[in-house]
Formats: sequence, structure tokens, C-alpha cells
Amino acid sequence: MGVTESSRGALPAGIPLPLEVRVHGRGGQGGVTCAKLVATIYAEQGLHVQTFGDYGSERTGAPVRAFARVDTVPIRNRNKVYRPNHLIVLDAGLLAEDVLEGAEPGAVVLLNTARGLAPFADKHGHFRFAAVDATAIARRHGIGTSAVVIINTTLAGAYARAMGLPWEAVERAFAVQGLARDLPAAREAWDAVLVREADDGEETAARGASPPSKVIGIAEQVRDIPTPLQTGSWRTQMPLYRSHAAPCNAGCPAGNDVVGFVQALATGGVEAAARVLFRTQPLPSVCGRVCPAPCMSACNRGAYDGSVHIRGLERWIGDHVAPRPERPVPAATPRRVAVVGSGPAGLGAAFALATAGHRVVIYEGESCLGGVLRTGIPAYRLPEEVLDRDIARIVALGVEARTGTFLDAAAVAGLARSHDAVILAAGLPRLTGLEAPGVDLPGVLQGIRFLDDVKRGAAPRLSGAVIVVGGGNTAIDCARTALRLGASSVAIAYRRGRKEMPAIGPEIDEAVAEGVKLLLHRQPVRVGGEGRVQSLELAEVELGEPDASGRRRPVVTGRTSSVPCDALLLALGQSADLSIVPGLPNVFTAGDMATGDGTVAHALGSGRRVAAKVLAALAGEPEPVEERPSPEALVAPAHVRFSHFEVELPHAERHRGIPGQGLGFDEANLGLDGPSEASRCFSCGACTECDTCLLYCPEGVIHRIGRGYRIDEAFCKGCGMCVAECPRRAMEMVFEVSAR
Amino acid sequence: MNGQLLSGNHAAAIGATLAGRANRTGRGFVSGVYPITPSTECMELLCNQEIEKGHVVRVESEHSAMAVCIGGAASGARTFTTSSSNGIAYMAENVVAAALLRLPVVMAAANRTLGPPWNVWADHGDTLMLRDSGWIQLYCADNQEVLDTLLCAFRLAEDRRILLPALVCQEAFVLSHTMERTIVPTQDQVDRFLPPLDLPARLDRTARVLGGISVPHVTEVHRAQHQAAMDRTWEVYREVQDEFEAVFGRRPADPVVPYRADDADVLVVSMGTIASTAERAVDEARARGIRLGSLRVRTFRPFPAALLAAAFRGRPRIAVIDRNVSLGFGGVLWGECRGLADPGAMVQGYMIGIGGGDVRPGHLLAIAEDAASRGSAGTPVMMEAGA
Repeated sequence: MGVTESSRGALPAGIPLPLEVRVHGRGGQGGVTCAKLVATIYAEQGLHVQTFGDYGSERTGAPVRAFARVDTVPIRNRNKVYRPNHLIVLDAGLLAEDVLEGAEPGAVVLLNTARGLAPFADKHGHFRFAAVDATAIARRHGIGTSAVVIINTTLAGAYARAMGLPWEAVERAFAVQGLARDLPAAREAWDAVLVREADDGEETAARGASPPSKVIGIAEQVRDIPTPLQTGSWRTQMPLYRSHAAPCNAGCPAGNDVVGFVQALATGGVEAAARVLFRTQPLPSVCGRVCPAPCMSACNRGAYDGSVHIRGLERWIGDHVAPRPERPVPAATPRRVAVVGSGPAGLGAAFALATAGHRVVIYEGESCLGGVLRTGIPAYRLPEEVLDRDIARIVALGVEARTGTFLDAAAVAGLARSHDAVILAAGLPRLTGLEAPGVDLPGVLQGIRFLDDVKRGAAPRLSGAVIVVGGGNTAIDCARTALRLGASSVAIAYRRGRKEMPAIGPEIDEAVAEGVKLLLHRQPVRVGGEGRVQSLELAEVELGEPDASGRRRPVVTGRTSSVPCDALLLALGQSADLSIVPGLPNVFTAGDMATGDGTVAHALGSGRRVAAKVLAALAGEPEPVEERPSPEALVAPAHVRFSHFEVELPHAERHRGIPGQGLGFDEANLGLDGPSEASRCFSCGACTECDTCLLYCPEGVIHRIGRGYRIDEAFCKGCGMCVAECPRRAMEMVFEVSAR
Repeated sequence: MNGQLLSGNHAAAIGATLAGRANRTGRGFVSGVYPITPSTECMELLCNQEIEKGHVVRVESEHSAMAVCIGGAASGARTFTTSSSNGIAYMAENVVAAALLRLPVVMAAANRTLGPPWNVWADHGDTLMLRDSGWIQLYCADNQEVLDTLLCAFRLAEDRRILLPALVCQEAFVLSHTMERTIVPTQDQVDRFLPPLDLPARLDRTARVLGGISVPHVTEVHRAQHQAAMDRTWEVYREVQDEFEAVFGRRPADPVVPYRADDADVLVVSMGTIASTAERAVDEARARGIRLGSLRVRTFRPFPAALLAAAFRGRPRIAVIDRNVSLGFGGVLWGECRGLADPGAMVQGYMIGIGGGDVRPGHLLAIAEDAASRGSAGTPVMMEAGA
């Protein structure tokens, strides 16, 4: 029993014998097995077949070829297929000139493409064309992975249909090769394949194989990287340099470019950092002392060895930047804007307008500029001279200040007529009171006024037991101030727990370290005393049912106890006085008056944005919109390559003395001892030209060009190592869109 | 379908597996293996076979792979390994040792050009480098021949009149990675064709040392014995052909395979798949009235001098094609057979397909035309196949 001659049998008339099939694919798509399947289909019909692949060291994604031959006699042809009768193209992105090389008019081309037949009609009209979206079908049937879909078995079904071969032959071939589980996908492709006949007439000369390339002597073979083999054709995705939003920037209510100023400080020094910071931040020495620093909470380094001390660095810049003497250039169309209130919102608006070359007048009811910065923050947190320095920088821009001038609604309306616009930034003058019997007794003070009195040098005498009611920064400031004024004991009564206190965490810690007691879950219900405050009745507070926000409401119980109290300071919150707002189109509100966000940073941001809104409105332009990056667009800790960074704990701010050694009103926090903390910044999302991409590229195809890099697209294989190794997500891989 | 779609590598592995199982009533089967492109798939398939009383040992190098075979063969097991190119070069010392120890090891070589630089494609330089080592060398032209020749190789090697190791050669990728319909015999058939190995003086209960000191006279006799064994290969091979045909129903090809050679004006001589391409060129030329003929040399060692001389008789022009180059000399086959033609015949050497270039009928027709038009033979010609 030898190998006998086989007959054509039931082979469709349109299939020539000997038949030569050439498959073009990318490594990993199963091109060699595709050719083998095609060969098996014919072998199962009793024909002689031969099939082999043509590739060397190409890896997944690189172009590879495979061949199959069919005949009625044993095949002696050992060469590659130069004149294919059938062409199977697994990836339409490969459909360039050399894929069709050697194909005669009338040859059949089967294409894996999602775009149907139409895009290929005019260019290759002399071929018989078949198209099917084998990738989609195979992906639906779960063949391979969703990233690397294996389409060979699916495409074999389309091939058989396009050639007029019987389905039974496909079934047999799949069974023989142990691929029966892929038959449903092959059947779907069988049903879905579209065929277009060749156009008549147009004869094009079939091109033969290209001439062999010249071989040079072995001594001339020395080549530096990259090699002449243009491996760019292997690539299906490409690296790009792209900045991403850093969480510190996204988290800053003032809209500071945190990455920008910290990196500038690390690489360029104080002046370079100040240039970045002053685009949005006129009060760096203030915020560097009092900001709750959401940037630090968001800092990605916090997931590694500790957040960068951004607030301390901002303070460093504010405290060490040289004075800025020049006046800004007047704007092309200078506007005249009145700003009412010189707190951070008003100062921020004035700074933005003056820097842009507009005329600003600030109206302030107190005798000094600063608003709550002046009246409500104790000197041991924010020394007067520090505040003065920051404010002087703003005034030096040419801002006119009219202090000692309180305005009512009529006055505001008058300003609206005499100026192009008015920005009301009057803060939260209304102080929340306490509803309890005895609250009118002497010795019960509003905390904010108490702090203001202290700063003006009119501090009341305090001795004995002082109790502060409230949980925010004002309560802490009152408590620590009371200690400094001679109270023998200071306690803070707050109706919820420590975690719920809205004050800045480190500030609470410092208060407790100085000796302030926390009376948590306590609510004052009665103020006792004859002629003045002598005691305070505190009720225990429980958490009851959740309210609309989901927080459990505090419920005052009947369990009370009385504590001695010689002074009661109320810090229960503040609200705006909107009675001074006239309903005029050129009057705007900013800061706490508008939003009640409650921090200096929010107020600064609000002032700057409202100033921009004012200028746009005056110019008849739409309000500028600041893009807020989505959470997915931010650089997260997972994007940072921690292994590129040495562990280095954050620098700490220095503090003056310890409790018990005489607390005074000198600044308690002395700040960082230098700016080297800035070098701990990862520079999330912003390239620092660290050369990591260049060093890790296995092909050596990333080059420095002046400031930045260039990737040689002729050779980049899209391996993605540069992007994976970038320590700070300053790069991104993008899929290349080609004729798929 | 008659047979299975198998690659040359898998055909070799299956042949070795069947042969190995056939020795289960003897001392079993031992194989030492190490991977190298393009023979890797052969050893991979072999590693996954269940062979009763078989041990396939993956070692750290080709040199050790052959050492495993030597140890196994000396104990009377049927032994096999596979390698290519620089793997064979690395193995060389033990290749020589296996032959000089007269052990019937069978090796399948997937012929790959030597490097560096690293080229995975076909030429015959790797096995021809060891032509003096004392191994039988057989060159195949299709996958069925690979499987069948492998079985024949065990028969030849183990015959008491021979007792020499045998190399079965197939070209890289052209055969090793190309799938063709290949008839796979049953175990029963192989059992009948390959009786259990009974190695004389095999290692047994008595401890022995293999090899030892020798003196000139002993070496002379050993080499003479070895040469005589090679000479006996022809008669043994004829018996093997007969028995193979009786068991499997097809006859293995002769040591030299002529194609339309009797009246050829130009005779093209080659080994391996270039001979298949030469046959296509012969058909093309004959259709145009040119009397071209082809000779395929299947057995390279022992060298079929008498058969070639007989085939060359009366042929005026002979083009010897080598898919190799003995650097400083010319093609190996040309060197060995050029003296066998009639006095006055023109024998010209051509080297083509080195490093795996795709040799096409057109190349061979060009060679034939050159041979036809030459006045006299000249220095061997190196040709480019391109790509």
C-alpha cells in the first residue's frame, strides 16, 4: 500500500491544481496552524498536501508567513510560495504591496477585517475578494485571550466557504487536528464571509520576487544600534510622551500647580518656584502656615514613605522669595473693579486683577487688610509681620486699599455704578450662637471676636477654667490662645468624636500636646453662675438615627454633669450676610460669602476664578471653564514605580519648645529647615527628563532632543518597556489605528 | 487521509518512539536530549511519549546528550538523540567516541548552517563536518523518508555485521518544520521489523571500563575493522530494503536515486531536497528537449563510490551541487565524487543554498546551462540563491 495518486474528486472547479496558498499574519495569530488547517481540509479529501511556516526569530506581533500546497500527486516543490492562487491575510493592517506580490489577477484574497469589502474594492479589483471579521467572531467565542485573539480556526471556516468547499470537509479537518471545539466559530465565519468577484478585463503584470539584497563583507557588518531591520512594522501600539494630572494639583482648592512649584524649587530654586506659585497663589507664607493641605493628603508619596511636606515648602518659598518690585503692564482694556473685603478671597481677586493689569480698589471695614487672616488666626500660628509681608506684595502691584470702610447694600450699589464690576468677598460675619439658659451671662464670648481682641491687643483677662465649645479651627485657636493668656485649664467641648472634628489634625495634636483637654460627645445645656459665668452643665451626646446625609445624628441625652467654668468661648460656626448683595448684573460674590468652603485655599481659588469670570463677562466672552481631571486621569500610587526611589522619610517642621516651658505668642511652628524636601516629590505625571525611558529601551531607539525625547518610529517595536518603567506616568501607550 | 499531517521533526520523533518501544523485551530505550532550533520539536515530542522501559533524559548540553546515549547503548539499550548545527559541533567529541566504541546510536539531525552569526536555516555543513567520524550518514528528501530511514537506521546500526552509529539527516525547516502526509506504521509492524537489540559485550553484571589505552598496531586493526564494517553496509542495506518492503509495503530508496539519468547530457548530482527541486528542473528541461538528468545521493557514508561510478559512466557532463562549503576547498560532495566520472568527462562543482536560501528550479536550470556550455571544469562556483 503505497501513497497512491488521488483524483480531484469533488473539488470545486474554480480551484486550480497544483494549488498554492500563502498566509500572511502576525506572530501569535496562529498563521502557521491556519495554513495547516487549510492543508488538512484538502488532505481529508484524499489530496496530497504540504504546509510550512516562514519565520525566524520574530515575536508576537511581527509579520510572519505560512504556505500550503495541494496536488493530486506527491509534492516535490520545496520552495516558498511565490505565485499564490489563494492569499489569506489574518490582519488587514498588513495589506501592503508585498503581501500581494506574485498574486495573479483572478487570485483569491481572504481578508480578516472589520470593515467589510468596500474599502478594498477599488484598489484590488482584479482579485476575487472575501472578507470576514474573524477577530470579532473569535473573541465572542473566547478563542485566545481578549488581548490576543486567535483567529486561525475561525478564518479556516470562512476560507472553505469562499472556496466552495463542503462544510463536512471542515468538520473532518477540525476533528483530525483536535480543534472541534472551535467549529462554532468557524461556522459563524462560514455564514458571515462576504465574497466579491474579480473585475473583468484589467490585466496587471504579476510582479515576481524582489531581487536579493547585496551582501557586504563580514568586516563591514559592524552596525551600531538600531539595526537596518526596520522592526517598526512589528508594532501594534506606540509609546507617547503625555503628561497626566497629579493628585496634589487636582486636590488644591486654590488651583495651584503643586507639581510645578515643587519641581521648580527642587531644580531651579526659590525664585523659579515663586514664578510658578504666584500664578495662582498671592499668600504663600499664609497658606504655608494655615492650610489643611489636601495636596499632602493626596500626595502619592504617602503610599510609599510619607507625603511630601508641600505646605512646608510653600511656606519656605513665601518666606524666602525676594520682594517683587515691578508693577504689571496695564491691560489693553483696563477695567476698574471694586473688591469688598480683604480676606483671602478679596486679596486673591485683587491680586489676579492687578497682575492682569486692571485697576483695583479694596474696601475693608477693619483698620488693616487681611480679613479673618488678621482677626481670627492667632499670632502663634500666623505672625503679624508674615501676613503683612504677603499683603504688601499684593498692594505693591498698585492695588488701592480703603480701610475702615464698612459698606451696606446702598453703598455696594453705588460702587456697582462707579466701577466696571464689584466683587463682594465679605466672608461670614454672622456668628452662630448657643441656645441655652444663661448664655447672656458675662464671660460668654464669641470665639472669633475673642481672637480679634487678642490680636488688637485688647485681650480680656482670663484665669481659671476656660471651656471652648466647637470642633473647628476657631475652637482650637481659642483654646490654645486661652492657654497663652493664663487660663489654668482649657477644655474643648464638642458634641461628636475626635474623628469628626473638622479642625486640622496636626493643630488638634498640638493643642492636646499643649494641655488642652477634649470633652467629646458633650453639649452645653445650661450656663450657670451669679452675675457671671461660673459653671457649665454638659449633657452626654449619643449617636442616633442617620440623617439625610447618612451621618448618625447626635442626640442629646438627659445625663448631665456640671463643670466649673470661668469663661465660655463659643466657636459654633459662621454664616454670610447676604443683605448687602444688590441684585445687579455686575456684582459678584466670592469666597466664603459665596461658597462657605471655609479654608484660605478655597477662598483664594474662588477669588481668582471669580476675577476671571468678571473679566470674561465684561468682555462679553463665555465664562472660562477650568477642566477638572476625572479620577482615572489622575496619577495614582499604582502608576508610580516606587522601586525607582530610595526610601527617605519626610522632613519634619521644627517646633518651638514643649508645653510647660512658658507658652507665648511667638510662632510655635518654625517650619522646615531647608527646601531639600522638594527633591522627594515624585513629579507625578510630569516628565523630569530622568532618562529612564531611554536607558530601558531594549532597542536603543529613544533619543534626547534638546528638552525632551524622540522615539524612532522606524524601529520602535511597541514593547512598552519605556512606559512601564517610567517612574511617574509621564508616558502612555496608544493603539495604532491602521486598516484593521 | 492516508497517513497523518506530520512535520519532519515529529516523523523522526515518532519513528524513534516506535523503535524504542520495540526494544521493550530487550534492554529498553535511552535517549539523552538537548534542544536547538530546528530539531527542538523532535526532542519535545519524544519527551512527551510513553515508552515502556524507556528513559528520555534532558541534560544540560549536547555533549552530555551523546554521553547519555553512549552509556545507554553500552548497556544494550536502543539509543537515540537529535541535534543541529552548533549543537552537533558541541557534541562532536562524543560523536566520535560513539563511533569508535562501535555503539549503534541513531541520531536525527535537522541540518542547520553553522554560526555565529545565528542563522536557523538549512545547509548540510553541520553533519558533513563529521563525515570522518565513522558514522553512517543518510540524507532524506521528504518526511516519509525521514520516518522510514530512521527505522532502517536502527536495523543497519544494530546489525552484527555493522555495529556502527547512524545519522539520519533532514534539512532545517524545509523538512523539519514542513508538514506532509506521512504514514505512521503500527507498533506491531515496527516490532516485526526491529527485533530487540542484542549487543555483544554489552555492560552487564561484570564491571568494565569503556575505552582504554591503545598502541599503534591496535589502532590500525580497529580502524581496519571499522572500515570493513562500513563496506558491509551495502549488502546489509539491500536486505533491510527487502525486509522493510515486506513489512510496511513500500521500499526505501536506493543509496543513489537516479531520475531520467540514463541518457542525460548533463547530470545534476545533489543530496536532500535540492534533488527534489532538481527533478522538477529535469522535467522542465526535458519538456524543452534538453536532456537533463538528476542523481540523488541518499547514502553519504559509506560513500557509494561504485554506484556513482556506474551512474556516471557515459555521462559527459556532471554538475555536482553542494548545499555546503568545505572552506578552502569547495563542496564536499563534489570533492568526493569528481574523480568517479569517465576520463574526459566534465565535472563541475556548484555550491548553492548555503545558509538556507530557497533554491528554485530556475537556479538548477542555470546550473545545468552553465555545465552544458563550459569548455572545461573550473574552480568550484559559489552561487547565491538570494533571500
